[in-house]
Amino acid sequence: MKKLLLAAVVWALLAGTALAAYPEKTIVIVCPWGAGGGTDRVIRAMAAELEKLLGQPVVVENRTGGDGAVGHGYGAKARPDGYTLTCTTFELATMHWMGIPSAPTFEDYEHVAQINDDPAAIGVKTDAEWKDLAGFFAWIKANPGRAQFSGTAKAGIWDLARLTLMDAAGLKPEDALWIPSSGAAAAIPEVLGGHISAIACGIAEQKAQLDNGELRALVLMSAERSPAFPGVPTARELGYDVVYATVRGLSAPKGTPKEIVDLLADAVKKSCESPTFVDFMQKNSFAISYRGPAEYTELLSRIDADNKTAMELGGYLKAGQ
Amino acid sequence: MIDITQIFNLSTLGPWMLSMLFGLLIGATPGLTATMAVALIVPITYYMPPLTGLSMVLGVSASAIFAGDIPATCLRIPGTPASAAAVLDSYEMTKKGDSGLPLSLDVYCSSIGGMIGVLCLIFIAPALAKFALRFTHFQYFWLGIFGLSMSAILCQGNALLGVISATLGVLLSTIGTDLTSGYYRFIFGVMDLADGISFIPVMIGMFGVSEVLKVVARPELLSMTALPGSTKLPPARKVFAVIWRHRLTVLRSAIIGTVIGALPGAGGDVAAWVSYGAAKKTSKTPEKFGTGCEEGVIAPTSANNAAIGGAWIPALVFGIPGDSITAVVLGAMIMYGLQPGPMIFQGKSEMVKGIFTIAFISQIMLIPVGFIGIRLFRQILRMPKNVVFVLVLLFSLVGSYAMRNNYWDVGIMLAAGILGFYMDHLSMPQAPLILGLILGNMVENNFRIGMLKSGGDYTWFISDPICATLIFLIFLTYFSGPLLRLCGGLLKRMRKR
Repeated sequence: MKKLLLAAVVWALLAGTALAAYPEKTIVIVCPWGAGGGTDRVIRAMAAELEKLLGQPVVVENRTGGDGAVGHGYGAKARPDGYTLTCTTFELATMHWMGIPSAPTFEDYEHVAQINDDPAAIGVKTDAEWKDLAGFFAWIKANPGRAQFSGTAKAGIWDLARLTLMDAAGLKPEDALWIPSSGAAAAIPEVLGGHISAIACGIAEQKAQLDNGELRALVLMSAERSPAFPGVPTARELGYDVVYATVRGLSAPKGTPKEIVDLLADAVKKSCESPTFVDFMQKNSFAISYRGPAEYTELLSRIDADNKTAMELGGYLKAGQ
Repeated sequence: MIDITQIFNLSTLGPWMLSMLFGLLIGATPGLTATMAVALIVPITYYMPPLTGLSMVLGVSASAIFAGDIPATCLRIPGTPASAAAVLDSYEMTKKGDSGLPLSLDVYCSSIGGMIGVLCLIFIAPALAKFALRFTHFQYFWLGIFGLSMSAILCQGNALLGVISATLGVLLSTIGTDLTSGYYRFIFGVMDLADGISFIPVMIGMFGVSEVLKVVARPELLSMTALPGSTKLPPARKVFAVIWRHRLTVLRSAIIGTVIGALPGAGGDVAAWVSYGAAKKTSKTPEKFGTGCEEGVIAPTSANNAAIGGAWIPALVFGIPGDSITAVVLGAMIMYGLQPGPMIFQGKSEMVKGIFTIAFISQIMLIPVGFIGIRLFRQILRMPKNVVFVLVLLFSLVGSYAMRNNYWDVGIMLAAGILGFYMDHLSMPQAPLILGLILGNMVENNFRIGMLKSGGDYTWFISDPICATLIFLIFLTYFSGPLLRLCGGLLKRMRKR
């Protein structure tokens, strides 16, 4: 009888805690990209803030592979209890268009919040003959097929960005060549060494070279000028309505209770205002751009549609889609 | 203002030493790479004063790369990719009963190699960085071929089996996403393979697990203590005598390490192989390589630590990290307000002086920290073999999983272990397979992207002085033996006349 009573008490306690406020154990954030990369660094800084706010350990787990499909897929299929979250990135809106089997789409998640974005910029060597975008595009038009861009893999985000911009300027996709690279870090020496004409990648990735005057950014594909680079004109100012940026955010698996999503969104919002986080982001020139659950979902759905158009331009869209 | 004497405060030296021990631990654990060690320490340094934070980050990168050599020597499992070349002679030497000498050589040569790398960074960085910028796909293609040619050097006397092994590695490297076209190759719908067969699990399986299988196949070995011989470390005097005897090998390897490390497209792993090959090629006793010779231990271990200093060169001069570790550290430096660029070397701000001092002292501190690590790790060798080999298996399983939390890697590791076991049976060398796997992608991608750039014109691959030099070196690699004999023969004949 005593035992039964004890069991009942224990059960009641356990049940009580289960109903108690989320979170009550370690939260894992799946990062689909490698340790030490931009996404990893942003999400680790965010995890440290969330840990302070939520009072439970927040651990980042890198599950890389398949151009982001492995980590994104793992996170989408996790149990929707708010203890396994995913750091979703821009590629969520390209992977499935590329025909990657098992790649999730933005519809497979309850999105929590956007944390950061990094708009695309086109950079050339400071001593290059092109002083502005108009000059560069005029040269491409006069010398079709001679310009060489690099910045990421073929059909990667920055390839799509420059395709969209070239299209807006009336240039054909084949007027310039895309040299595939494993990322911006591998492409920058190519530009500095004079082996290719221009780099297209996030402006934060070119910061060091822009600051010390080795690269010149011709255009920034964002709605407004960047406070960090006030001298770089936006595409809109130059007459092309093109906005292209990579995004990073936090998402939960489909079916996660709304209360948990809202609680997390609130925590992310507070973290985005925390002095330590703001300081970290500023020093690394990662722009903080918070968007709540509804806005982040809407943004991803818009990017998804934009990417389809851009991939059609480059001829990357897999048949049947 | 930053005060440079702050480096020598206890409040800096304490965390510095601790983080180096941490780097040692991570680096010595197979599958946990030096990049991971640095990525884990960086968030902690945000709460430290600049020089303390930087000393922790630089200390970790130095000790983690060195530490990869410890399990390579004791258990035949390279702790980090940069240590793959270290298994060849270090482990053979341990098997012969002397684990003290290779480990001591590892510590001192890592430290000396590292110091040479840092000195190059301080004094000739801008020139070397300009040179590195001249490398593009055409030059990297030949560098890859040059590295692959090392497999021919690695297995003299067994050339055909060596070539088969290297070819197998190159074939395995074709699995995964094709960077040039973006298509998937040979992945059979398994997205976990889309990034290709990662060579870390292959390396762990092929070297570590195959060794376990070998012992299991001959159970009479199990009852013995893990490794015969004394576990005492030789006196420093004896170790320095060995280093002095091979001072040219140390110097050559350190320079090769620095130069290859400075190339944004190649790192410590390639540097270690190339310097091993170069040491064998120039040695008076090349036949001893692979059987546990001193030069075979010295060359890769000097080169991989020198490559750290090398990787800093393009990072500080242009803001281009030479490898993934440097990428993480560079991020931390920018946090502290450091602006990479050619100006760094002209202005010589207190901050830059601080970084140079820290980088140099980290290499010196590697010696005491390294010996602490060795003493801890060598306890393993005192255990009976049946315990040690269970540990090897455990390390292999955990290490291959921990790399990216993926069970496929564990499967690949086990498959590589079985393959390695049978390769041993056929006396087919395993090192060329690893080389093929590392360099296969480098050769293929650089060739195809180079062709894309040149518009299908092959002459772009030869019409450049760097390409020509590399082709000449490759030619020497294959034909220096017969060529020397030919010259010798001609000389003799001329004298007779």
